[in-house]
Amino acid sequence: MSLQKQELSSVIPDLRELSLERLAELGDSVLAHSIALYRQRLKETGVPLSSFGARIS
Amino acid sequence: MLITTHSLSADAFLELADGAGDSVVVRQLREAQLSKHLMLLHVVAEAANGTHPLSRATAAFRAGYQLLVEAQAADPSVVARLLGLPHIGSWAHDCLACLDKGTPPDFGYLAVVGAAAAVRLGIPFEMEVPVRDGRVPLPGLGCLEAVGQGEWVRLSCDAERLIVGGCIDVPCAALVPDDGSGEAVPHWRGTLLARAVADGQAWEVLLETADRYLDRYTLPMLTVMSAAEVTNWRRLIQSAWELLVRHHEWAAGPIAEGVPVIVPLVPRSDLDSATSPAAFGSIATSLPPSPVIMAETLVHEFQHIKLCALMDMLPLIEPGGGRGYAPWRDDPRPMGGILQGVYAFTGIVRFWDVQRHVETEPDAVLRASVLCERWRLAVELAVGPLLDQGLLTPDGVRFVSLLREQGRHIQHGRVPAEAAEIAREVALDNWLTWQLTHTALDASAVAALAAAYRQGEPADEQAVPRAWIQNDVRKIDSIQRSRLLVMRYQEPSRYRQLSATGDMPGLGLADALLVRGDAAAAVEAYRVQLAAEPDPAAWIGLALAVHRLSPMPSQPVFAVHLPLLFEMHACLADQEICVDPLKLAAWFA
Repeated sequence: MSLQKQELSSVIPDLRELSLERLAELGDSVLAHSIALYRQRLKETGVPLSSFGARIS
Repeated sequence: MLITTHSLSADAFLELADGAGDSVVVRQLREAQLSKHLMLLHVVAEAANGTHPLSRATAAFRAGYQLLVEAQAADPSVVARLLGLPHIGSWAHDCLACLDKGTPPDFGYLAVVGAAAAVRLGIPFEMEVPVRDGRVPLPGLGCLEAVGQGEWVRLSCDAERLIVGGCIDVPCAALVPDDGSGEAVPHWRGTLLARAVADGQAWEVLLETADRYLDRYTLPMLTVMSAAEVTNWRRLIQSAWELLVRHHEWAAGPIAEGVPVIVPLVPRSDLDSATSPAAFGSIATSLPPSPVIMAETLVHEFQHIKLCALMDMLPLIEPGGGRGYAPWRDDPRPMGGILQGVYAFTGIVRFWDVQRHVETEPDAVLRASVLCERWRLAVELAVGPLLDQGLLTPDGVRFVSLLREQGRHIQHGRVPAEAAEIAREVALDNWLTWQLTHTALDASAVAALAAAYRQGEPADEQAVPRAWIQNDVRKIDSIQRSRLLVMRYQEPSRYRQLSATGDMPGLGLADALLVRGDAAAAVEAYRVQLAAEPDPAAWIGLALAVHRLSPMPSQPVFAVHLPLLFEMHACLADQEICVDPLKLAAWFA
């Protein structure tokens, strides 16, 4: 399948349509994988307080 | 319950990899960031619910959460907009970091988030909220000030009026951002709001000067602004917006879609701007000197915002790997930083490529043309090593390859020769300075190579000494010369003035000859200078001067092996053997 026809699946769970009430009832397991991935990335890249402002001419 | 994940259409990916991405694509990124915020909120909520006994902070969290539930039932779009703000992303990120470190997160902040939603929607509530420095922030709206010295205060709202601590009474209708049209309200400081409009296109952006979760950049947030400063910021944003809408439409709409907040920074001598992956939608910057630079800054930082959001969805690069040359920095950078820079400067090339046709005054045209070519060369130079390092994921390889194609496309619209020449030389100056500053060499191998040279052995039969990147191996004092070379396009009239008078402040003879454009005389002067002292700055000057002469075989040697030339020359000088630098370079050629 060519790239043009693909839909690229991300690692972020789609929670837009989930009410906050239901979000609170989700429990640990449903989001565990995504949260673990996110935590792992934070651990690998450090706390991203990045500044890209040091520009030179 | 089955939860799907956000997806990105291949077209959106291609648009982003082209350095752009329209408003629809940016909306997709923004919606994924909202989900990220909700995911992190879930983590914080689990932690708050697991805290026993219930503390004041966790009780405030629960009250805030409950208020958000009510607000969402009343108007989901208001809550979605609030929870999508960079304030919330930043807070949630910091909470996660605290939890992972085993320190208590700032649970109480969610109470003020809930209060902000309730005030906005006219929902009655009563709860305690945390106070910091006598203030209670209402994210996206402003902050209540002078509410007392306690750490907590009770807010009571009947949908019409907000009572703070039982004594301060503020009408809810007044609790809005400050767009400059309203009267001052005691105890209320609305977040500054700039409304920029051009050709029917509007951009509303908050100037955040109070919320501590957006005071997270290298420079501190500007927390106090005079009326004149506020006016100046608003005018600059309006003018930059007009420029973007009229000439850089590819960037304007997406910026309006994806940037709800600017964080003004305390100014230093130079312009500083920044973004943080933790705060999607927020651009921090000191006050740019002109509308054009404000527009450039917005384009630059928005590139970072888009890439950070994309990388939250699709990892493009693996951690680790070595550090390398980033042509927009003085220091060695990790590959992730180089990827960020490549993306930012792809946008900047696009900006100046258009801007060089927008400008009408010759000096401004020259400047825009040089900046277009300068950064095009930078992207071209950085992309190769990025692809070669093997750290990119398959998506990352596709992304960076497409970025490289974009650079080649712009190359077809070549800038005028004078601009190209200045850009090439400024880029070379940066590259040579970086190499000499941060390239370490195996000293014994250098000594062996120097001995081989002295004995007249062929260079191509010698082993090249091992080299590695190391911070600040040599101290190089060439800033003044570099500034004057840059002045040719940044301040052309001043450069012409200095050239006419022959007054080159702070420069020695060889540097002055180079900056004035007498390359042949500069080469001779650098040779004399290097015979007296193996100065790395003089080596860079010599390399620049040599590159201005007609093509010769040793030019690539200066560009690629300058640290080695310097070390060999210094090694022989230590043995009181004076070597002509041109002959040494010719040996390698």
